[in-house]
Amino acid sequence: MNSRERVLAMLDARAIDCLPAMPITMMFAADQIGARYYDYATNCRVQAEGQLRVAEKFGVDHVSVISDPGCEAADLGAVIKFFPDQPPAIDEENALLKDKTLLARLKPPDPLGGGRMTNRVQAVRMLRERASKDKLVEGWIEGPCGESADLRGINRLMLDFYDDPEFVRELMDFVVQMELCFAQAQIEAGVDIMGIGDPASSLVSPRFYNEFVFANQKKMIDGIHALGARVRLHICGDTRHIAEGLGRVGADIVDQDALAPLDHARRKMGLQPVLLGNIDPVRVLREGTPETITTAIAECHRQAGPRYIVGAGCEVVRDTPEANMHALVRYAREHKPSETRVASGR
Amino acid sequence: MSTLDELKEVIINGNAPAAKRLTEAALNQGTRPGDFFAGAIIPAMDEVGRRMRECEFFIPEVLIAARAARASTEILKPLLAGDSSVRPAGTVVCGTIKGDLHDIGKNIVAMMLEGAGFRIVDLGVDVGPEKLVDAVRREGADFVALSALLTTTMVNMKGAIEALIAAGLRQQVKVMVGGAPVTESWAQSIGADGYGKDAPAAVELARRFIAEAARGMSAARRGAA
Repeated sequence: MNSRERVLAMLDARAIDCLPAMPITMMFAADQIGARYYDYATNCRVQAEGQLRVAEKFGVDHVSVISDPGCEAADLGAVIKFFPDQPPAIDEENALLKDKTLLARLKPPDPLGGGRMTNRVQAVRMLRERASKDKLVEGWIEGPCGESADLRGINRLMLDFYDDPEFVRELMDFVVQMELCFAQAQIEAGVDIMGIGDPASSLVSPRFYNEFVFANQKKMIDGIHALGARVRLHICGDTRHIAEGLGRVGADIVDQDALAPLDHARRKMGLQPVLLGNIDPVRVLREGTPETITTAIAECHRQAGPRYIVGAGCEVVRDTPEANMHALVRYAREHKPSETRVASGR
Repeated sequence: MSTLDELKEVIINGNAPAAKRLTEAALNQGTRPGDFFAGAIIPAMDEVGRRMRECEFFIPEVLIAARAARASTEILKPLLAGDSSVRPAGTVVCGTIKGDLHDIGKNIVAMMLEGAGFRIVDLGVDVGPEKLVDAVRREGADFVALSALLTTTMVNMKGAIEALIAAGLRQQVKVMVGGAPVTESWAQSIGADGYGKDAPAAVELARRFIAEAARGMSAARRGAA
């Protein structure tokens, strides 16, 4: 059973040889090939090289085109600040929709129009060509709340929920339409599973999540399923207060960040969603030892149950010792989904 | 319910126009500007912090409450100028660390500290050592609060503290650090005075430093006597 078959079998609840491992790697992957992060985020060849190196060297089951949240915003004309060796960041103070009235004139960019979105589509194509016989190919788009925050500025968006709910609805409608178009381009280029990153949605109350975000996440997920790909939903931060909704939203994999315990997620979401995570990327994965990492992942596995994929709560951070990354994947290789055990050290 | 009690309630509920109206009404009734803080604004923001910690409030609720508090303090500030009986709890110079543009966490910490009676000098995002040192010196800061969202930028916190040492300002300020990848052990390793895991924790930390300083001064006075 190869990596791709393993993950797909897990998603379909078929028998598999061992747990899959799908940690998010970005800066870690760039460092593996000695690339500056600027090049990794802006050059599809560099990104593909880094992903292939991580997949081969550590035995991770997927390759991914996640890089930073600024691809779509950049192609829409937002001001993006680039750094030599860290992820590009959106200039929120001068966000594209600082003036809300500009939304009416905004047109979704063409994902194949030659901008940063195109670079990502090309990265998918390269990974498809070079890795898909063995590895699962993961695309990436931003979620409705995250991309709205990128376009409006997160501080402004958080106030808009109270001050101008109609604008928030219109903005999220636009985002869903744009992201589904981007998803389609990536799926046509060869994506097996689409990652949706929606970090800002952990910042709002259950009421606002249910009123504004849930339906739009669901629309995105349903749309991606209709296009023939699976969905991994990744929300940074503490999602305990919206866990019930995340269980109903329809994602095949729901990532859990380190702040959201897996046993809580399992109780709230039921047995169906595959849970992925959630050792603390800094405190456990980077600062721990292979032994403490094994113990921590065993506890995650115990809490999540058999429908579980090994990973960190968020991106594997730069300077994570290679031995620790090997320990993470080793746990997956040495355990079947049903082989959970009570960990002793956490 | 007194006007100050009403003001406290509307701040908690994030009603900025009502906060402005009630502040003006209380002033017209003869409430001294300095009495608004202990009587309404600080207890309101303490309650906001409590609700945030108890997951009753989330970021939008905290932001609108802070905005309402600010609607009140903006009226009071000019009236307090020159009133030596009303002093801020301390002056905090804050910002996101060099290379980091993610500011919502820093903004919330700044708002909560302001609501707790601290004077805030917000340097914004991407704050380098020189800018920090200049602000600490210029403003006579008691605290420095730095945030980072990225592991790549949090390393710059060390440089900021080293710059304060080089400028001879380190003993003047307590340095507090926070942000998603920041840990207590990291804070200790770079020589920060404290780590706040969230905005209410940052307020608690700053208050603890003030209480410790007050105890130290009392002990020194007793020793001198």
